[in-house]
Amino acid sequence: MNDHNVYQTNNSETEETPEQAQQEREKEMQDDEEELHKLLLPNVHDLPLTPPSAIDFNFVAYFAPDFLKPGHDQYVYRHANGLCVIGLAPTHVAFKDEGGITAVDFNVGKSDRSGFKVTGKRKKNAQHFESNTAVCKVCTNNDSYIVRCCVKGSLLEVNNRLIKQPGLLNSSVRITELLMS
Amino acid sequence: MANETEDAPTNSASESHATSADVERNPTDEDKNEKLLNDAVQFLPTDAVKDLLSKEVCLRCIFRLFGMQVPICSSLSVKSLLCHVLGEQADLHQNISSVEPNICRSCLGILQFTYCGDKERVVENESACDFAVAIAELVKKEGHQIDSFSLEVSMPPTILENENKLSLYVKRKYRSEAWFKDRSISECSSTKDALKFALTNPLETLLDVKCGISTFHIRLTYSRVEASIRIQNFVEKIEGCKRRKVDAKNCLDTVKDKSAITGVENSVVSTTEVIPVDEKSSNGLQDNEPSETHEFPLKKVNEPCRLECLCFRTPIYFGGRYLKYSRNVSQTRWIIDEERMGEASIEEIIGGNILPMCRGDSYKFHAAGREDIDVRMLGSGRPFLFEIQNAREVPSELLVKEIESKINSLENKLVRVKNLKIVGSQGWTLMREGEAEKQKQYAALVWISRPLQDEDFQTISSLKETVRCYQILQKTPIRVLHRRSPLEREKIINWMKIEKIAGSSQYFLLHMCTQAGTYIKEFVHGDLGRTNPSIGSILGCRAEILQLDVTDVKMNCFLTE
Repeated sequence: MNDHNVYQTNNSETEETPEQAQQEREKEMQDDEEELHKLLLPNVHDLPLTPPSAIDFNFVAYFAPDFLKPGHDQYVYRHANGLCVIGLAPTHVAFKDEGGITAVDFNVGKSDRSGFKVTGKRKKNAQHFESNTAVCKVCTNNDSYIVRCCVKGSLLEVNNRLIKQPGLLNSSVRITELLMS
Repeated sequence: MANETEDAPTNSASESHATSADVERNPTDEDKNEKLLNDAVQFLPTDAVKDLLSKEVCLRCIFRLFGMQVPICSSLSVKSLLCHVLGEQADLHQNISSVEPNICRSCLGILQFTYCGDKERVVENESACDFAVAIAELVKKEGHQIDSFSLEVSMPPTILENENKLSLYVKRKYRSEAWFKDRSISECSSTKDALKFALTNPLETLLDVKCGISTFHIRLTYSRVEASIRIQNFVEKIEGCKRRKVDAKNCLDTVKDKSAITGVENSVVSTTEVIPVDEKSSNGLQDNEPSETHEFPLKKVNEPCRLECLCFRTPIYFGGRYLKYSRNVSQTRWIIDEERMGEASIEEIIGGNILPMCRGDSYKFHAAGREDIDVRMLGSGRPFLFEIQNAREVPSELLVKEIESKINSLENKLVRVKNLKIVGSQGWTLMREGEAEKQKQYAALVWISRPLQDEDFQTISSLKETVRCYQILQKTPIRVLHRRSPLEREKIINWMKIEKIAGSSQYFLLHMCTQAGTYIKEFVHGDLGRTNPSIGSILGCRAEILQLDVTDVKMNCFLTE
C-alpha cells in the first residue's frame, strides 16, 4: 500500500490558487458525471425487443379452466413470497357476452368482501377462504357469474376500482389478492 | 516485603512478570510515605480500632471509616499496616490471623482484595498492588491498545447496608469521646470509593495510562453467592412474575465474555440494585431479619463475594459512503435455507476488512436506506455506519485510509467506499436525521408498449410545472406485502426527465428525483394498478422497468470535505 501517493494528492491542491482549485473541482465533477452516464446507458444491442412483463417476471401463472363450472376460466398468479392474485382469464365465459362485464359486486356469501379492513404486519382481520368460497359476482347484460377463490388462503385485498369501473375488466383482467396461509 | 525495583517497563508485553514491587517509588519516596502513614495513624483511636477488629471489621474498612486515604496503602499488606497501627507488639506477630478477620463483615472481603474468582476458587491478594497486577494481566491478555481507562465498580446492596450500620454503631458508641468530636464521621468514604482509590494509582502505573473518562472500561462486578438466592425470591415477590429469572439466564447464554465467569446471580443482583435499599425493602425480605438498620454486630460472613472482571471498549463507529456496481450483491448478508442469495454482500465486504484491523469482536452494519439486490448504487454513494464491538485497537487515520484503498482495489470491483473515517456518536444522529424527508435520485431503463413520441417528453417533464410537485399514491407493493402493513402511502415525485436512447424507439432512460420511501419499480409498471398514477397510466400504455440505478442519495453526511 502506497501511502506516499495518498499524501501527495492531498498536498497538490494547496499549491494552486482558489480559482484553479475551483476549476479543478468542477472538472472533477463533470468527469464523475460523464462516468456515471456511461454506466447508466445500456448496450442497445443487448436489449430484447419485448422484455418480460412485471407479471411474467415476478409471478408464476397458474390457470384453472372450467373451475367448478364449464367456461369459468380463472387464473392465479403466485408470487415467490406466497401471495396470490386471482382473476378472470380472458377466455372466461363472461367476456363472451355482448357488452362484456357491466358490474362487479363483492357482496356475496355472508359479507361484503370489499368492506373489511386488514391491518398490520400480521394481517389482522383477514378472512379465511376455501377454494370454493365466493369472492365476487360479475354481471353482464345477460347473466351473472360467481367468481370463486380457487385457492385456500386469507383474503388481503380486493380490487375496489372494479366497483366503480367494471369496464376495466374488459381490457385487463384482475380481481383480488390472497395471502397463502 | 520485597524491595527490588526492576528495570523492565511495566507495560511491555507478556514476557515481563509485573510484581507489586514494580509500582513502588524510589527509596526517598518510600521514606516520605512511611512518614505520612505514621502521621495519619497517630490520630487513630486505638481502642476503637481494636474494638472494631474484634467485631470482624477489616483494617482497611476501619481506615476508610476514619477517613484515612493515604494512597501508599496500596502497596502495603495488612500485616505491615497493622504493625504501624498497633505498634510493634510481640504478641501481634504471632496472632495476625486472629486480629484481622478472615472475611470482613462490612465489606465482605472486597477491601481485603479477597474474592471468589474463576472456577469458584478463592483468591486472596496481599495488597492493592497485587490485585491491580491481576487486573492488568487481564487487560494485556485481551491485547487491548489503550490510551486511558475508566474504572467501574458494582457491589451488592448489602455493602451499603453494612456501611450504614457500621457508621451508626461507631456514632452511638463513641459519640462522647473527644476524638469523635474532633473528627466528623462523615469523613468516611464508601467501600466503593475506597476500592477505586486503592486501585487507581497502581493500575495507572501498570497500564501506563491515566484513569478518567474513557472508551475503555474496566468493570469489577461483585456479587454474593448465598444472598443471590434470597434476592431472587425477593425479586419474584416484588415483580410477581417468574419470567425474570428465566430471562436473566437466557440473556446471559448469549453474552460472549472473553474474561472471567458470569453467574446468574450477577444479572439478578444488578437489577435489584435499582430498588432502594431502605426500610421498605427490608419489610419485603421474607426471612427473619427484623429492623436490619439497627442491628449490630453484622452477620458473620463465610464466603467472599464473587468477582467478575470485565475489560472492554465501548463501540467505535466508522462512517462513510458506499457504491455498489454489481446487480448481484445484496446490502446485508442474505441467506435462505442455508443458501446465500447473491454473490456477496456489502456488509461483509466492508465489515470483513474493517473488523480485523480493529481486532474487534463483531460488527453491526447500518445504512441510510437500502436498495434491492439487483439495483446498483452509483453517484455520490449511500451513507453507512459500521459499529465495531469491543475493538482491541482504534486504527489511526492513516490506517483507515489504507482500509478504504484496500476495499476499493479488490479484484472484483463490486463495491466502492468513499470518505471512510472514524466518527463519534454524532454519526448516528446525522444518519437518522430527516431520513424520511431526504430525496433520492434514480435512473431507470424503461420500456413502453408503443414508440416514444415527442409529446411524451413534455408530458413527463412538465409535471413539475403544472403542479409544484407531483404526488402519487402507492399501495404496499405485492412483492413486500407479506412482511409489511397494507397501507396506502402518498409519495412525492420531485421531478422527472426522459432521456432518449439512440437506436431504440421504445426504450428510454427515465431520470427522476423522489421522496424517500418511494417504490420506483412499482411506479413504472403500476403494480397491477395499485400505484396511481404510474408511468404506464401517464403515458397511456404498458410500461416495464428493466434496470434501476440509484444515482444520488441527497443527504448531508459523510460527504467529501
